Amino acid sequence: MIRHLFTLIWNRKRSNFLLISEILLSFFVLFVVSSLLVSSYYNYRQPAGFAYDNVWEVNVAPGQDTANRKEMMQLMLQRLQATPGVVAVTRTSSNTPFAFSSMNTNEFYYQKKQGPSTDRYDADDDMQKVLRQNVVAGRWFERRDDASTRRPVVVNQEFAKAMFGSESAVGKVLTNDKGVASWQVVGVVEAYRRGSDFDGNNPAIFERRVLEGPDHLDPNDRPVLLVRVQPGSGAVLEQRLVKEIQAVTKGWHAIVNTLDESRHDKMKIVLTPLVALGVVSLFLIINVALGLFGVLWYNINQRRAEIGLRRALGATGAGIGGQFLGEMLVVTTLGVLAGVVLAAQFPLLGVFGVPTPVYVLAILLAAVLIYVLTAICAFQPSRIAAGIQPAVSLREE
Amino acid sequence: METTLTPAPAAPAPTSLKNTPMLKLLDIEKVYQTDTIETVALNRVNLTINKGEFVSIMGPSGCGKSTLLSLMGLLDEPTGGVIEIDGRAVTSYSDKELARVRNHKIGFIFQSFHLINDLSVLDNVELPLLYRAGMSSKERRQRAQQALERVGLSARTRHFPSQLSGGQRQRVAIARALAGAPEIILADEPTGNLDSVMGDEIMDLLLSLNREQGTTVVMVTHDENMAHKTERLIRFFDGSQVS
Repeated sequence: MIRHLFTLIWNRKRSNFLLISEILLSFFVLFVVSSLLVSSYYNYRQPAGFAYDNVWEVNVAPGQDTANRKEMMQLMLQRLQATPGVVAVTRTSSNTPFAFSSMNTNEFYYQKKQGPSTDRYDADDDMQKVLRQNVVAGRWFERRDDASTRRPVVVNQEFAKAMFGSESAVGKVLTNDKGVASWQVVGVVEAYRRGSDFDGNNPAIFERRVLEGPDHLDPNDRPVLLVRVQPGSGAVLEQRLVKEIQAVTKGWHAIVNTLDESRHDKMKIVLTPLVALGVVSLFLIINVALGLFGVLWYNINQRRAEIGLRRALGATGAGIGGQFLGEMLVVTTLGVLAGVVLAAQFPLLGVFGVPTPVYVLAILLAAVLIYVLTAICAFQPSRIAAGIQPAVSLREE
Repeated sequence: METTLTPAPAAPAPTSLKNTPMLKLLDIEKVYQTDTIETVALNRVNLTINKGEFVSIMGPSGCGKSTLLSLMGLLDEPTGGVIEIDGRAVTSYSDKELARVRNHKIGFIFQSFHLINDLSVLDNVELPLLYRAGMSSKERRQRAQQALERVGLSARTRHFPSQLSGGQRQRVAIARALAGAPEIILADEPTGNLDSVMGDEIMDLLLSLNREQGTTVVMVTHDENMAHKTERLIRFFDGSQVS
């Protein structure tokens, strides 16, 4: 019977072509949506690489007076660190966890091999105390790095894998494209997914920049501090921190947010396009379903005489229903096969850098969804076909 | 045009079987009911078709001939009465059992051929065998080819119905009916859509099937000449048997 179905579908290839195309298109839309969903879920399940609970972000807006800014910053950090309820304070670049700001570079080279596009972060010796990154090789920055002739950096595993392969990253020296500026890897952290819960673990590099060092402080720089506080700390401590900053800096303004709040805000913004895409896809799929349903309904009405004939020749009502369902599944299989060939190019070509298992799972999910969709659409028309009275339909022609 | 018929592969039915009932209709009634109208298509019909018989049924349009054939072919259910095939009442048969009887015992030939245009001649002839459990595809092919040889169309197996003449299409339909080796062939105006030459050809084919293979044939026709070639002629008028 399966061979018979294939013969029938092949001989009706012209009329089935549109149906197969519709299924292929639907499969592809579902594949894209599934890829996004699976990728988001895959990322969500990965370790963030840092702890955001009980961490506050303090955005400082300096006044017009730029004199002694470095010293003022040092003093401010000391005062904050000494404040009761504060565990640790770190000064970093504006691309803090869950912030929209980002710094991206591909200036790093190792033995003339250019590194991947990398997220770059300013970090000091206390950042690990605040964000508690999981150091898996080497160490975090320390005071002894002051003596280093190369700028110390800590990289994440994604960067280490892309740059050094299976070799140990610790101790490796990175240069720029001219081979002059150099950085030395002192440690490797597990991951650093700071964008949102759904972001991937992009290659990341932390550059040591301490106020005590020789780095020039940009007068327009708006300092960003991350403060780990004791669990249960609230508005009282927040006010105190702001007052401390204002007292030390003579009128600098400070805004405090918890990273937990930032995470929730970011989550809403990240989810919005995903939900919108999902809704648009849902409408598209409903349209496709209605289209399939209509085509099948029309097919059955066109084939009433054939149904009567098959009943006369020995088909049962259930057999007729099964045949129509089977035909739809064969047509679906052809559409899905074409879709799989198309979708398989994504992992084969490494498009968007999404891991292969994500694409494979998305293909499977899209295939299952399309089979469920076509089975649902074919069910009622097949039932109608099964209920057609052979004597009546044979007389109709 | 091919008109040659190959010799029948099976022996004719023994004369002793001629008096054995193949199909019995007992007090058959068929009433079509709508909200406002009740139409009596068949009124207390009692009829016995014996094995190996060639029976023709005649009557004016709307007298119930086709309804009778549908009931004989188990394509429809009577409103009242009993249908017996090989001595067994089929009234209480399930859909599956009815389908099995249709597939194994009955072959249909229709006025408008009812071939599936998207299937080749061979695939059309194979169709009843598809619904026969346990038959290999090789056996199906062989039996379909034999049936096509029997009707002189073995050279047309790969053609599609649209590439054939009316007479050839009807012969394909006969081959399809023969492929399942049925005990009875029900033919609903098999020559109705054909010219007289092709009609004669088809009639000769049915006669040879009846005489050489002993296949029981019940044929509905409007053609007196065709009807007189059969062993028994039954006339219907207004849903009742009149002779």
